[in-house]
Amino acid sequence: MSHALVVHGLVKRFGNHVAVDDISFEVPRGVVYGILGPNGAGKSTTLRMINDIFAPDAGEIIVLDGLLPGHAAAQHIGYLPEERGLYPKMKVADMIAFIGELRGLSRGEARRRTGMWLDRLGLTQWAANKIQDLSKGMQQKVQFATALIHEPELVILDEPWSGLDPINAEVLRDEVEDIRKSGRTVLFSTHQMEQAEKLVDRICIIARGRKLLEGSLADIQRREAADGLIALGFRDAASRAAADAVLADRAVVAERRVPRARAHADGTDCEVKLADGATAQQLLAALVAAGVGLQRFEVVVPTLHQIFVDRVGTSAAVAERRPEAS
Amino acid sequence: MPRGLRDALVIARREFVERVRSRWFVAITLLGPLGMIALVLVPALLIGRGVEGSRIDIVDRSGVLAQPLSDELTREGWKPTIVPRDTAKADEMARIRDQKINGFITIPDSWLDSGPAGQIVYLGDNASNEGVDRTLRVAVQRVVQRERGLRAHIDPGTLETVLQKANFAPPQHTNGKTEEASGLASFVIAYFLAFILYMVITLYGVNVMRSVVQEKTTRVMELMVATVKPRSLMTGKILGVGGAGLVQIVAWLAMGAVTLGYREQLLGWFGVSGGGSALPPLELGAFVVVIAYFVLGYFFYATMYAAVGAMVSSEQDTQQVQMPITMLLVIGALCLQMVSNAPRGSATVIMTMIPFWSPMLMPMRYVLGGASPLDVVISLAILTASIVLIARAAAKIYRIGVLMYGKRPTAQELLRWLRY
Repeated sequence: MSHALVVHGLVKRFGNHVAVDDISFEVPRGVVYGILGPNGAGKSTTLRMINDIFAPDAGEIIVLDGLLPGHAAAQHIGYLPEERGLYPKMKVADMIAFIGELRGLSRGEARRRTGMWLDRLGLTQWAANKIQDLSKGMQQKVQFATALIHEPELVILDEPWSGLDPINAEVLRDEVEDIRKSGRTVLFSTHQMEQAEKLVDRICIIARGRKLLEGSLADIQRREAADGLIALGFRDAASRAAADAVLADRAVVAERRVPRARAHADGTDCEVKLADGATAQQLLAALVAAGVGLQRFEVVVPTLHQIFVDRVGTSAAVAERRPEAS
Repeated sequence: MPRGLRDALVIARREFVERVRSRWFVAITLLGPLGMIALVLVPALLIGRGVEGSRIDIVDRSGVLAQPLSDELTREGWKPTIVPRDTAKADEMARIRDQKINGFITIPDSWLDSGPAGQIVYLGDNASNEGVDRTLRVAVQRVVQRERGLRAHIDPGTLETVLQKANFAPPQHTNGKTEEASGLASFVIAYFLAFILYMVITLYGVNVMRSVVQEKTTRVMELMVATVKPRSLMTGKILGVGGAGLVQIVAWLAMGAVTLGYREQLLGWFGVSGGGSALPPLELGAFVVVIAYFVLGYFFYATMYAAVGAMVSSEQDTQQVQMPITMLLVIGALCLQMVSNAPRGSATVIMTMIPFWSPMLMPMRYVLGGASPLDVVISLAILTASIVLIARAAAKIYRIGVLMYGKRPTAQELLRWLRY
C-alpha cells in the first residue's frame, strides 16, 4: 500500500526528558489521520520532526514513499504549526503568496492561487490589509491558507481547532473533507476528541511520548464495543424485577451499572458489562426467555472521548510541565 | 538555480520590500543628508560666528602694545576695548560673568621677558575656539615683533616688509602619485566613508538581529524553518536588509557628493566664507575598494548579528549579547585617528588586516595613500575567509537557536551547537 507517511521507532530527547519515545505509525494515502494525546504527550514534537524542524535522536521518517524530511519533502507538505505566527507587517495576499513561492510555486502561480484561496476563505476584501490589522480568527484563516496554497499531498495540522470559533471550526472541517475527497492526506494532532471523531479515519493515541493505540477508528470502536457494554431499557418495574435474576448471572453479566445519562427515576434503565466470553446474543436470549419486557437493547459503541479517557487515564491527562526547549 | 539560493532570494525580496516601503526608511533616507549638510555647515558656522565680533578688553600694564593690538584685532572684525592699565583681574572676570565681554587679554609690564613673568595671557569664554587662538596668536605676534623691531632701530618701512605674511599654501596630501588633493580634503573623505560604514553596520546589522528576534517573538519562525533551510532564511535576511541599506547609502552618497561639490555656495548662502579647499574626486580604484569593504564589512557584521539574534528570545536580551559586537565596532572607531595620523604605521598595517576592523580602517588607509593594492587584496582575502567561517558557525547557531525560547544558551551549549 502506498503511504503518505511512515514513522518508525522515533525518539526525541530534550536533555534528560524523553519527549518522544519509540513511536511508530503509518499513514496511508488519502485518509484523515489523527494523532491524539493529552498536552505534553509529544504530538507537536513528532510533527516538528516530520517537518524537519527538529532532527530525531533515533528512528526514521519517510514521506510520500521515499522522501526524507527536509527540503525536497517540503514542497509536498503543508503545515499549520501549533505556534501560529505570520509576519505582522505583511499584507494578507503577500503573505500567502510568499509561502506558496517558498513551497515551490512560481511567483505568478502563487499569486493566482492566493486569489483563489482568499475568495474561498472569504478574505478577498482584506487582501491588501496588513496581517496585524486582522482579528485572531481571520489570522487563523490566513495561516490555514499558507498551509494549503501549494495543494500539498500531505497536510499537517497541529492543534487546528485551538482558538477557532464554532463557525470557523466548521469551515476547517469542510476543508479537511475536501482534501480527503481529492485523494490527498491530512495528518492532524488534537486533544479535542469531539472534533476528531467527526473526521478521522485512523487514529494514533499517544501519552507521555509513547504510543498506546493505533488503527482505524471503526476497528477500534468495534473492538472496544466487543468488550461488551450494553444499555437496557425496561418496559416497566415488573420487567425490571424479572430481569434481576438474569443480570445476576455472573456467567453472562460481569457488572451492572447505573447509566451515565437518561437514567429514569424509576430505574427502568440500566447498563451492564458482559462477562468475558459472553455475547450480546446470549444476554438477549436469556432476557427474552425470562419474559422481560424490553424497550431498548443497545450494544454501546464507545465514543472516541471514552476510548481516550479509558486508555490515557484521567491522571495522565493532567500533563507534566513541558520543558522549555520543546 | 538551486532551491536554497532561490529561497534566499525570495526571502531577500520580502525583507527588502518590507523595509523600503516603511515610512521609517523614507524618512531616514531623506533626512540623513540633511544631517550631513548640518555636519558640514554647523562647525563652519560656529567657527565663523565665534571669532568675528568677539568683544575683548585689553589690559596693557606696559602701556605700549594696547593701541597697535587693538588696531590689528579691529582689522580682523573684533571689537576690542582698551581698559585702564591697573584694572583688576576680578573686575574683568565679573564683566565676563555678566556677558559684557567674551574675554580679556593681559599684557604684563615685563612683556619683553621671555620667561613666565613676561607671558601675555588671554582669558575668555571663547578660548576653546580654534579661530580665537589663531587670530590672537597672529595679532599678538605681529604687534610684539613690530615693537621689538622699532626698539632695535629698524627702519619702519623695512620692518613692514620683514613682517609681511609668508605665502604658504594649505598642506597637501599625497601618496607620491597624485598631488591635487589637499590634506584636509582627503582626510574628510576618508573619515566620512568610515563614518558611513560604521552607521550602516550598526543600523543594518542591528536591524538584521532585531528582525531575527521578531520572527521568534511573533512565532512566525516555526512556519519559516518548516518551509526553508535556516541557512536560506539567514542569507535571505542579510541580503534583503543589506539591499535596503545599499539603496540608502547610494542615495546618501549621491546627495553627499552634491553637498560637497557645492560646499562653497552652500556656505555662502549662510554667510560663511572659507570652505576653501576643493575636495578631490574619488578615483575609480578607491571607489572599488570602498564598495568592496562596504559590502564585505556589512556581511561580516550582519552575520554575527544574525547569530546573536538567534541566541536570544526577546528584544530586551539583545542589549547584553550584542555588547561584544558593539565593543569591536567602537575599537575600530577609536582607531580611525591612528590610521589618519599614520597611514603607513605598523599598528595601522596590523589593524587593517584584522577582519573585525579592516572594513572600517582599510578604506581610510587606502584613500590616504598608506596601502598598496597588494595590501588591499591580502586584507580582503582575510576578510572573505573570515566571513565564510563566521557564516558557517552562525548558520549552526541559527539552525538550533531559532526555535529556542526561554533561557539564553551558556557558552558550553553554544560550543555544542557549533559541533552539531
